[in-house]
Amino acid sequence: MSEHASPALRLKGLCKQFGRPAVDGLDLTVQRGELYALLGPNGAGKTTTLRLVTGLLTPDAGTIEVLGVDMARAPSDAKRGLAYLPDEPLLYGKLKPYEYLEFVAGLWGVRAEVAAPRARELLDWLDLSRHAHELTEGFSRGMKQKLALAGALIHAPQLLILDEPLTGLDAAAARQVKDLLLSHVAQGGSVILTTHILEVAERLAHRIGIIRAGRLIAEGTLDELRERTQGGSLEEVFLQLTTAS
Amino acid sequence: MMAHWRPAPGSAAWLLLHELRLFWYNTGGSKGDAAGHRVGWSAIVLVAVTWLVLHVAGWFAMGAMAGVSSGDPRLLLAVTAILLASATFMLSTAIKSSVLALFERGDLDLLLSSPLPSRSIFSVRLAGVAASTAGIYLFFLAPFAHGALLHGQWRWLGVYPVLIGTAVLCACGAMLLTLGLVRLIGARRTRVVAQVLGALAGALLVIASQTYTLFRGPDRTRSFIADIAGQGGVLAADSPLWLPARALLGDVGPMLGLTALAVAAFTLTARRTHRFFAVGLQLSASSGSVATSKKMVPLRTHFGRSLLHTVVIKEWRLIVRDPQLISQVLLQLLYLVPLCFAVFRDSGVHVPAVGAGLTLLASSLVGSLAWIALSAEDAPDLLLVSPASPRALRRAKLAAAVMPVLLLTAAPLLWLIVYAPAAGLVLCFTVSAAVLAAGMIVFWCGRPGVRSNFKANGKRGFAMNMLEVLNSLGWCALAWLLAAAALAPPSDYVVLGAGAALTVSMLTLASAWLMRHPRDRAV
Repeated sequence: MSEHASPALRLKGLCKQFGRPAVDGLDLTVQRGELYALLGPNGAGKTTTLRLVTGLLTPDAGTIEVLGVDMARAPSDAKRGLAYLPDEPLLYGKLKPYEYLEFVAGLWGVRAEVAAPRARELLDWLDLSRHAHELTEGFSRGMKQKLALAGALIHAPQLLILDEPLTGLDAAAARQVKDLLLSHVAQGGSVILTTHILEVAERLAHRIGIIRAGRLIAEGTLDELRERTQGGSLEEVFLQLTTAS
Repeated sequence: MMAHWRPAPGSAAWLLLHELRLFWYNTGGSKGDAAGHRVGWSAIVLVAVTWLVLHVAGWFAMGAMAGVSSGDPRLLLAVTAILLASATFMLSTAIKSSVLALFERGDLDLLLSSPLPSRSIFSVRLAGVAASTAGIYLFFLAPFAHGALLHGQWRWLGVYPVLIGTAVLCACGAMLLTLGLVRLIGARRTRVVAQVLGALAGALLVIASQTYTLFRGPDRTRSFIADIAGQGGVLAADSPLWLPARALLGDVGPMLGLTALAVAAFTLTARRTHRFFAVGLQLSASSGSVATSKKMVPLRTHFGRSLLHTVVIKEWRLIVRDPQLISQVLLQLLYLVPLCFAVFRDSGVHVPAVGAGLTLLASSLVGSLAWIALSAEDAPDLLLVSPASPRALRRAKLAAAVMPVLLLTAAPLLWLIVYAPAAGLVLCFTVSAAVLAAGMIVFWCGRPGVRSNFKANGKRGFAMNMLEVLNSLGWCALAWLLAAAALAPPSDYVVLGAGAALTVSMLTLASAWLMRHPRDRAV
C-alpha cells in the first residue's frame, strides 16, 4: 500500500505494561483528514497511548504505523510528519518565542525560507508577536500552551497529537485552538486528541474512541455511540460505558 | 492526665509553633512518610555526633588560643574577617529565606485572609528568617565557644549575642531588601541576587584565606598588620570597625550595643513595615510574571541552521541567560583560585603548575557544562519526539559544553607555547584530553536531572562524581609531570609518576565506558 493511501495512524495489538497493563492490545485507526478524540477515565491509558505513538515509549508488543511508516523500523521518518503537544508544554524558559521556534524548526530540519514566514504567521495568529522579546519563563500558562502549539505546527505536520490541549486556556485562546484544529483537518491533516472536556470532543471530533484499562471499549461517531448506549449527551454515553462493570 | 501547654490559637506563639512544625516536616521528615521520619531521626543522631566532634575540635583549638589577648590586632582582624564573611553569607541566606517565606511558600494568602493580625504574621516570619539564618553559624561556631568555656575563657560566649544579633540585622535588612527588590525585579530575579551575593561571600572567604600567601610569609603579614593597626593606622585599636569583633570577644559595651541595635531593628521592621509587606506582596502578585517593558529592537531570526548549530546556540543561550547557574558554576571554579595564588607565589612562572591548574580548571568546567547541556535538558520529550537522531543531538550538546572551554583555555595555552614551546605543546595535549575525557564521562554516565539541582549534592551520583574527580586529578598530575619533563630531563620518579597518572586517566575513562548508559551501548 502506498504511503499516501495509508491512514494517518494505525495501531495493531499495542501493549505496554508498567507492572500492570497500561495499554492492552489496542487496535486503532485514524484516517487522514480526521479529528479523533480519545476519551477515558483517569488512568485509562490515554497518555501512555499517545506517548507510544510519538515514540516516547517503546511498546512491549504490537505495531505503530504513522502515515504509513512503521515507528519501530524507521522512527525518524515516522516522526517527521507528526507533532506532539503534551498537557505540560515542552518549552525552554530562557528562550524567546522566535528562538524556540528556530530550535524546533532546526530539529525537524525545516528550511529557513519556509520556517521564518511560518513562525511569523503563527505568532501573529496566536497573538504572541508582541511578546517576541520576552523569555517564555514569564509567560502565563495559556501563552506557554499557545507557543508550544506554534512549535508543534512550525513544520506543518500531517498528524497532530494533542494531550489535553485546552488545559489552562482562557475562552478566547481555547476558541483559537479549536479553530486551528478544524482548519488543520479541513486542509487534509489529521488530529488525535485526548480531553476531559467532553463538550470539545462532542463538537469537534469526527470519531470518538473510549478507552478503559488500556482497551478500546467503544468507537464511532457521536451518533453511533449514542445509538449503541441509548444515551443522550456524550457525557451520559461516556459514563454508561466507563462505569459499566 | 498530663496537661500540655498550648498557646492560644491565633497568637504569635501559636503561629511560631506552626512554623516550627513546618520546619521539622521540611527537614526531618522530608519524605512525608514513615520512612521519612526514620530518616529524620538518623539525621538527628548524625547531627548530634557532628556537634560532639566539633566540641572536641573546639576544645583543642581554643586551648591553643588561651594565651592570646583580646586586644591582639591579629585576633581582631581574624574575628572581623570571619564576621564579615559570615554576615555576607547571612545576608545571602536571609534574602533566599525571605523570598521563600514571603513569596514562594504560598501560604500567605491563607494567613492574611485570616483574622490574625498581619503584624503577628510578619513578626513570626521575620523571626523564622532570623533563626534559619543564625542556626547554621551557631551550629559550627558555638562549639568553639563551649570549648573555650571549658578552658575558663568566658569571653567567647559573646558568639551567641553577636551571631544572633547579626542574623537579626541581616534578616531585617533582607526582608526590606526583598520587598524592594521583588517590587522592582520580581521574586525570581531576587533569588538570583541572593545567589550572586552568596558567590561574592565565597570569593571574599577564598581571598581572605589567601591573605597570608599574598603577603608571602609571616613577616610581611605581621608588618602589614602592624602598619594598619598601629597608632594613626586605618584600623587603630580604638577604631569602631573592631566593635563587632570586640563584642564577639566578650566586650560588654559593644555586645550590649549590638543586641540593642538588633532588638530595635526587629521591633521597627515588624511594627512599621507589615503594611509595606502586604502591599509588596500584592504588587508582586498583581504585577504578574510577564515583563511589561517592551524593547522594540528589530528582531533578527536565524532559521535554517544545521542541527549542530541549532543545538549549540540553544544550549549557549540557556546557559548564558541563567545567572543563577553561571554563578554556581563560577563558584565551583572559585575554589580553584588558591591554586593560582600558589602558582604565582614564587618569582617567575611555574609552568608545570600553571599547566596542571589549567588542566584541572578546564576539566572541572567541562564536567559542569556537560552535565547542564546533556543531563539537565529542560524538554527531553521534545528532542525524543523530533526526527533528529538522538546520538547527533547528544554529540551537539557535548560540543556545546566543550567548545567554550577550549576557547577559554586557548589564550593561556598559546602564551605557554610562546613562553616554553615544548611544555606548552604538551599542555595543549593534556588540556584537550582532559576536556574531552570529562565530556565523555558525562556523555556516557550522566544521569538526567534538573538545572535547579545543579548545586545539590549527589546530582550526578557517587560513581559519576568519583569518575570526574579521578579524571581531573589524573590529567592534572600528568600535565604537571609531562610539562616538568619537557623543561628538564626527567628523573625516574617523574617518568613513573607520569605513567601512573596516565594509567589512572585511562582506567577512569575505561570505567566510564563500561558504566555507560544502555542507549550508548548499541553502536
